[in-house]
Amino acid sequence: MANKFEKRSWAEPYRMKMVELLKMTTKSQRDKAIKEAGYNTFLLHASDVYIDLLTDSGTNAMSDQQWGAFMTGDEAYAGSKSYYLMEKAIQKYYGYKYVIPTHQGRGAENILSQILIKKGDFIPGNMYFTTTRLHQELAGGTFVDIIIDEAHDANSEYPFKGNVDISKLDDLVKKVGAKKIPYVCIATNVNMAGGQPISMANLKELREYTHKHGIRIIHDMTRVAENAFFIQQREEGYAKRTIESIVLEICSLTDGATMSAKKDALVNIGGFLATNEWDVYEEARNLVVVYEGLHTYGGLAGRDMEAIAVGIKESLCDHHQKARVGQVEYLGKKMEEYGVPLVKPFGGHGIFVDAKAFLPHLTQDQFPAQTLAAEIYADSGVRTMERGIVSAGRKANGENYYPKLELVRFTIPRRVYTQAHMDVIAESAAVVYDRRKKIKGLTMIYEPKYLRFFQAKFEKIK
Amino acid sequence: MGENKINKMRTLTEPFKIKVVEPLKVTTEEYRVEALAKAGYNPFLLSSKDVFIDLLTDSGTGAMSDRQWSGIMMGDESYAGARSWEHLEAVVKDLTGMPYVLPTHQGRAAERILYSTIGGKGKVFISNTHFDTTRANIEFTNATAIDIVCEEAKDNQSDYPFKGNIDLKKLKELVAKYGSENIAAIIMTVTNNSSGGQPVSMENYKAVRKICSENNLFLVMDGCRIAENSYFVHHKEAGYLTKTYREIAQEMLSMSDAFVMSAKKDGLVNMGGLLVVRDEAISVKCKNLLIISEGFTTYGGLSGRDMEALAIGLVEVFDEDYLHYRIMSTTYLGQGLKKKGIPIVWPVGGHAVYIDAKELYKNIPLKEYPGQALVCDLYIKGGIRCVEVGSVMFGKYDENGELIPAEKELVRLAIPRRVYTQSHIDYVLDVFDDILELREQKRGFEITYEPPFLRHFTAHFKPL
Repeated sequence: MANKFEKRSWAEPYRMKMVELLKMTTKSQRDKAIKEAGYNTFLLHASDVYIDLLTDSGTNAMSDQQWGAFMTGDEAYAGSKSYYLMEKAIQKYYGYKYVIPTHQGRGAENILSQILIKKGDFIPGNMYFTTTRLHQELAGGTFVDIIIDEAHDANSEYPFKGNVDISKLDDLVKKVGAKKIPYVCIATNVNMAGGQPISMANLKELREYTHKHGIRIIHDMTRVAENAFFIQQREEGYAKRTIESIVLEICSLTDGATMSAKKDALVNIGGFLATNEWDVYEEARNLVVVYEGLHTYGGLAGRDMEAIAVGIKESLCDHHQKARVGQVEYLGKKMEEYGVPLVKPFGGHGIFVDAKAFLPHLTQDQFPAQTLAAEIYADSGVRTMERGIVSAGRKANGENYYPKLELVRFTIPRRVYTQAHMDVIAESAAVVYDRRKKIKGLTMIYEPKYLRFFQAKFEKIK
Repeated sequence: MGENKINKMRTLTEPFKIKVVEPLKVTTEEYRVEALAKAGYNPFLLSSKDVFIDLLTDSGTGAMSDRQWSGIMMGDESYAGARSWEHLEAVVKDLTGMPYVLPTHQGRAAERILYSTIGGKGKVFISNTHFDTTRANIEFTNATAIDIVCEEAKDNQSDYPFKGNIDLKKLKELVAKYGSENIAAIIMTVTNNSSGGQPVSMENYKAVRKICSENNLFLVMDGCRIAENSYFVHHKEAGYLTKTYREIAQEMLSMSDAFVMSAKKDGLVNMGGLLVVRDEAISVKCKNLLIISEGFTTYGGLSGRDMEALAIGLVEVFDEDYLHYRIMSTTYLGQGLKKKGIPIVWPVGGHAVYIDAKELYKNIPLKEYPGQALVCDLYIKGGIRCVEVGSVMFGKYDENGELIPAEKELVRLAIPRRVYTQSHIDYVLDVFDDILELREQKRGFEITYEPPFLRHFTAHFKPL
């Protein structure tokens, strides 16, 4: 079946049942809107946006099956049947024993960090993620990047740029000792590297190493199904395996997980913490009441837990993932044809434009990625996101992090946009690329204390 | 709107009809005995499918209107600047008159963000009564939470209409004792949940505002039942009959420096919360914390559709026919129980009826939790789930490990909004006939497992 359609279009395995009307804007309206938003796409009004590629988080279209389940949500404060359904789906499809629902992924990260991290601990991971690292730091830990070097090279075509460099982990263990490392944090796919997967072989090797040293693996599993799709397509011995079975194998190599269900699980809100350790579960159950809600709803409406239970199952369907990642790939190829510099191979949830190569005349202090995101919006109403120096923030001593990658992320919401939308996006990138030499950079005029990319404001350099 | 409405007890008509139903499972007593044992005699740990009438809480358990459901379908799920957020923000600004609105996934997140911003070690919070999660949030920051509800509230039988009031004399004494620089905030919970869902009068609120202004203190309204409180002010306080419920709420809000709300009550939604502040500097600090643990400032951990539903719910809740129905249906249960001779907290509050378990189960010693015994009996006899608000929830231990009981041993029957019919309530009243036969029993419960905080949610019990 899969082979039969291999060379043909990735046509969606669904049709539209409900649509959401969009407002069309003019160039002068958009110029005004982005200026008022301080050249930060986060601060635009959604109603001024035509195609919203800010994030794939919580922006999914749910299926009629999910909406059906949604209507059967049980809003009981305690012991809701919807909770048990969600718990069962997680146990069945991800294989973890104990489940704590949270209102979204960062709720789970917050609780997990507080339970496992002691002051002075180190948390190695395959590249940082903004909220994840912040929770680790707030709990007194220090993040250590142990991803392979290829991940930081936008031009490398290595198929598993999410892999861990075990020698980097070994160096850390030798330096600080395994006791100071409560867990290794493994993301599937690695968002900040451009939606890049980790291979099963690498994960197995990591499992063996961590077993030897008595270190947990905590799985940041928000895009695990997309990672599994890449394993199926690229890794030897997995071509005939279902995504469902690959996901279960990935999870079986880890000890617990945090998940933002707003990505893979095809919902608009929700997350959870999962663990195979009773002690961790018990402590999490006590903490979740303080931050999120009673452990059988964790800050989620019953209907949202229903939608997650159905969404997890739908996300593991091979046809769904083929269309999902196929659409991202379609956009990437189109942009590539226009000569736009991109991170390769294409990631699972979006296309990452290399802003340093796009705007080589700007220094990193002139925020090339931030500039490019603003330019794209003004051109076509397409909203993208900066993933470079602004997102990277500052070190404890106040100095800027200078990340090697300076990217603009075109994130594709699941099941929302059509092929024609993809064409509009690629054409806009091409038009801006054509006049790239005339583009001037930005200066930052307001900087918040934490996670500055959300709220920072900029001005155009005269 | 008129005074006569509250006094006439004709058949209570709902100002709505049913559009969608949720089937319930009917269970036998033997089945429930087993289910309760499995749940460690803690109704919080029961499966909701095993519950017939769920009076555990009025929080997030309400039925939304068809308009709210339309809002759910219209929700804008954009991560930043969604139109559902703009709708909600406009409604909240208009209601509160405060400029900075922060959405949160539910009320406790709003509390945590605000109280960790203004609280901390050595700080004191003073309230008419802190709710359980509020107290936990405050104590979690190593600050102290002090309750000073008015003296009248201590008498369960008096007719005093505003038993939610704070004790102004004690407030002045505490301000003098701790010094205004050490007092993080005065929190007025309206209505006062832990003391029986009792309202706070405008007069009392004004006096608190005056003390706050004179001493430069920060006044927070914990207003998850602000509409219900306004109903009582309108009908029971002199001079307010000509004001609408919404105007009364706005008057009280105009005196507050911040507003925290679990929208799961008077927001008429299943999920959501709000933190609203007047001061820009505090709003900036709170927004930083919001992004870390909740979500971006324009969604705060809520889906777009939930913000849309809340924007609509916050308007619907002030509808005079709705509020009349709401308060009267709670009163209906309270008066029915009183007629049967069940000791309840009087007058009946807005969202729940509180039964005095110490009085009902006189023979069960306090250290054997008479409230928990009643909660278990109600489930076994009728499949009714409710919650103990007494020594299980608020009790502490002395240095010898002996229980320091709470001031009251109450059991709360909370009424979800727009969910149960009068026939359901009549059924509940019938079950109390069985309870009256048990009132001479002598044995209660002991705790076999308890977590370090908020133990009532997950503790296990054993019948003695």
